[in-house]
Amino acid sequence: MSSTSALRELQRELETKANDLSKLQKDIAKNHQVRKKYTIQLGENELVLKELDLLNDESNVYKLIGPVLVKQDLAEANANVRKRIEYISAELKRLDSALQDLEEKQNSKRDAILKLQQRIQSLQAGKAKA
Amino acid sequence: MEAGRAKGTVTPLSFLFPAQDAHKAATRVQDAISEKERELEHLLGFISDNANLINLVQKLPEELHHEVMVPFGKAAFFPGRLIHTNEFLVLLGEGYYAERTSKQTVEILKRRGKALDSQVDSLKAMMDNLKAEASFFDATASEAEEGLVEIREEYVEENLGEQESGSGVNKQDVPSVSGVDGPKIVEEDAEYACIMSRLDELEKEEELAAANGDQSDEEDEEEKETADQSLEKFYDDKQSYSKGSTSTWLRDENVGSKELLDKYQQQQEASTNPSNCSGLSVQSSSKEDVSSGKNSLAQTQRVRNPNPAAKSVTFAEVKEKNQRSPPSTREAFTGSIIERPPAIPKTSKQETGTPLQPSGSQPSKPVSRFKMQRR
Repeated sequence: MSSTSALRELQRELETKANDLSKLQKDIAKNHQVRKKYTIQLGENELVLKELDLLNDESNVYKLIGPVLVKQDLAEANANVRKRIEYISAELKRLDSALQDLEEKQNSKRDAILKLQQRIQSLQAGKAKA
Repeated sequence: MEAGRAKGTVTPLSFLFPAQDAHKAATRVQDAISEKERELEHLLGFISDNANLINLVQKLPEELHHEVMVPFGKAAFFPGRLIHTNEFLVLLGEGYYAERTSKQTVEILKRRGKALDSQVDSLKAMMDNLKAEASFFDATASEAEEGLVEIREEYVEENLGEQESGSGVNKQDVPSVSGVDGPKIVEEDAEYACIMSRLDELEKEEELAAANGDQSDEEDEEEKETADQSLEKFYDDKQSYSKGSTSTWLRDENVGSKELLDKYQQQQEASTNPSNCSGLSVQSSSKEDVSSGKNSLAQTQRVRNPNPAAKSVTFAEVKEKNQRSPPSTREAFTGSIIERPPAIPKTSKQETGTPLQPSGSQPSKPVSRFKMQRR
């Protein structure tokens, strides 16, 4: 009788672990999405920076803020874009480390689940024999 | 294959790669390809839009003003007139706009088109990769369905047959489709070449050592105390032996092998590559638990194995010694014969050590005697 209760406990444990794992996987997927967004933004910003560098000094630059176009200094716009690129790069780095962390966690969880499954199987096999 | 002893193994390919799995993988890759295709279509749309826009921007300043229908809301238009046809407000991205002339705008648009082209190129390269993968999976699946078998045969020395067939089973899960034993043989060959070159090196070293053995004799005496205690005993044994007529030989030999051993140790420490054949595990193991001179004897004898037959005088003596003390020979053998780096899992260490040696250098008698003792 004790074996069945142990089995049940193991199965419960397995369920919680599986839930954790799926949560982790969701997090990883979210991370991937955010990262994709940021990489796109980074590419766009780099394009903008290139174009801004190509503009001559007296050309007018506007920034769309809400519904209105606000005139901006070229130097200011340039600095803004640079800062933004820096920020995005930092963010990407942060996301990378977070992703690594998550993947490590995922792997350990997966191992744990595998072990649990094996234990359950061996328990069931033992019960079948008995 | 069935007749005689099994030299290799035959596995149906469908056992390694079940057809369903291969199909599943193929479909997954196909999905990826179609996704990339959609992306590519998207990009191609951008490119054509861009080209149209360039055309328009180039044409607009040709007239002073254009009569157009201006969109008003979603459904309504009203007639209007386009003036200032050479002034454009270009969106650079991220909400930044710049006032540009038609010509400058066209330049910007062309640069954008180039960026798009590079994107398309990378996407196409990716798709090519995926397609190659897909065709591979498809081929695997069809081969598995046709009942193709994988024949794996070990490249072995004659007397290793039984063992090879045993160890061959373990290597089944190395993924490969056909012509499987190619890489395996190559590996073995490389290993063999490595061992042979090592042996040649040893021979040279030994000759060198024998040449200047006399003057370095005393230094060596000091060295060996720190380097290898077992050698001391060995040396003493040798000394007692060398009272006879072969004394000079023995001394030279002794020094030579000792130096060799020292060199071994250095090389072992220095070798960073785990699969390097020169990394002998002998030293470390025997150094620790050497309790009798026999161990060191066996050690040096093994080192001397590649020697020319001219030194067989000593061999005989050493052999005698070995036989006089049967209980330790076995231990000595296991301690000494390990000549392979631990990274190569294929054949058992004891097996490859001996049979490979004779082919390049002199197949001296002691080897076979060792084998006899071992079996």
